[in-house]
Amino acid sequence: MIKINPDEIKIISQYIYQITGIALDEKKAYLIETRLSGLIDEHGCKSYLELYHKAKQDAGRTLERKIINAMTTNETLFFRDHSPFELFRHKLLPELIDKRTSKSFPNSPITLRIWSSACSTGQEVYSLAIVLRELLPNQTKYNVKLLGTDISDKAIAQASYGQYNKFEIERGLDRDKLERYFHPNGSHWKIKDDIRAMALFKKLNLMEPFNSLGKFDIIFCRNVAIYFTLEDRKKLFNRIADVLEPDGYLVIGSTESLTGICPRFEPQRHLRSIFYQLK
Amino acid sequence: MGTLKILIVEDDPVTLSLLAKRLRKEGFEVETTHDGDDALRRIAGEPFDVVLTDLLMPGETDGMGVLENIKRLYPHTEVILLTGYISVESAVEAMKKGATDFLTKPINFDELIIRLNKIDDMRALIKAATDLRNAMEVTEKSAADTIQELEIMLSEFRSAFSEVRDALTEPHTHSQDRIDKALNILQPLVN
Repeated sequence: MIKINPDEIKIISQYIYQITGIALDEKKAYLIETRLSGLIDEHGCKSYLELYHKAKQDAGRTLERKIINAMTTNETLFFRDHSPFELFRHKLLPELIDKRTSKSFPNSPITLRIWSSACSTGQEVYSLAIVLRELLPNQTKYNVKLLGTDISDKAIAQASYGQYNKFEIERGLDRDKLERYFHPNGSHWKIKDDIRAMALFKKLNLMEPFNSLGKFDIIFCRNVAIYFTLEDRKKLFNRIADVLEPDGYLVIGSTESLTGICPRFEPQRHLRSIFYQLK
Repeated sequence: MGTLKILIVEDDPVTLSLLAKRLRKEGFEVETTHDGDDALRRIAGEPFDVVLTDLLMPGETDGMGVLENIKRLYPHTEVILLTGYISVESAVEAMKKGATDFLTKPINFDELIIRLNKIDDMRALIKAATDLRNAMEVTEKSAADTIQELEIMLSEFRSAFSEVRDALTEPHTHSQDRIDKALNILQPLVN
């Protein structure tokens, strides 16, 4: 594997920051090497600098997309951590439906807008869709908009296709859910059409404006801000506050905190989970 | 040196005993059966890492049936198909259905053993990844509990502090009353 030198680390990490918002320091040289060495070989580059120049010169941005795909972490699983989905099922969704029902006209469908802001290969979105399906059997009464976004077009493509290998399936899905919501497709499993139809996937860099997505009732922003600088985290959660309905809910990763990040949010406890609401 | 537990399904007794002997010599734990239906009964009783099955067998369940049932019920079990003649179509079909590999007869034992060792390596890697993930989950859970506890505590402190500020700056109140009120607010936070 070609070694990266200190000058290259500066240039490459600055470039990665520009295109992804991911903050890397000199200590993360190994991460750049392990993630990008494949592209170095694939493009016949002799150094990381050469790869950088190739990426900058590529007007079609294909190489830039490949670098984004390589540098972003897609660690995810169905019902990751369990507790956010229990929170969603037992607290957020019932409470939200209650609030929206009292506001809407009788017999008109209730709109629920949910955003999984760093959805990776789609597991979080489909886990939410499954909970929605189980909790709201009468889908015609509700107009559910479930949006999944991610910076990696490769991850979004897989999410959109909704197909998973046996390792991905094994993580977090019990037999019953697997058979109810997926169908076998060769050695893979594919999400069933009715669950797939509940979700919409889009490529989005959280460092860029997202006001145009509209407002959301529930936002999941889990385990993505950890890769950003403190300043960028502050900006991100402030912009998330802008697109959250005044009585909406925000769920962040179980080891993340908003203390000192965004004073507009207030933590609330429900059993063993925490969620945030605007003050 | 293999650590895999293997079930061989083969209706030809000579091939069956030859295979079993050779794989046992390599250190694999080997069991045998001569038909597909019995194979499915055996798998239901105990887990196998690998099932080596002949494609064409008499009886209700042929090799493809064994494959289908295993992949449906025991996705962790790897299936290698053995066949006298394999067409591209049936090979593709087998791989689509989740077969790990297929080998044509007469069996090249060296090749078979290389493939089994690859499966062994892969399973060791999967186990390492699973162990690592479990360790990470334990650490993450414990970190999450601490962080969430602190998050709530800090939020309570903040709101108490702003109450204290209001109490201390309340107009038209005697200074001792203001202090008493502030101390009252702080009391539950001190313990």
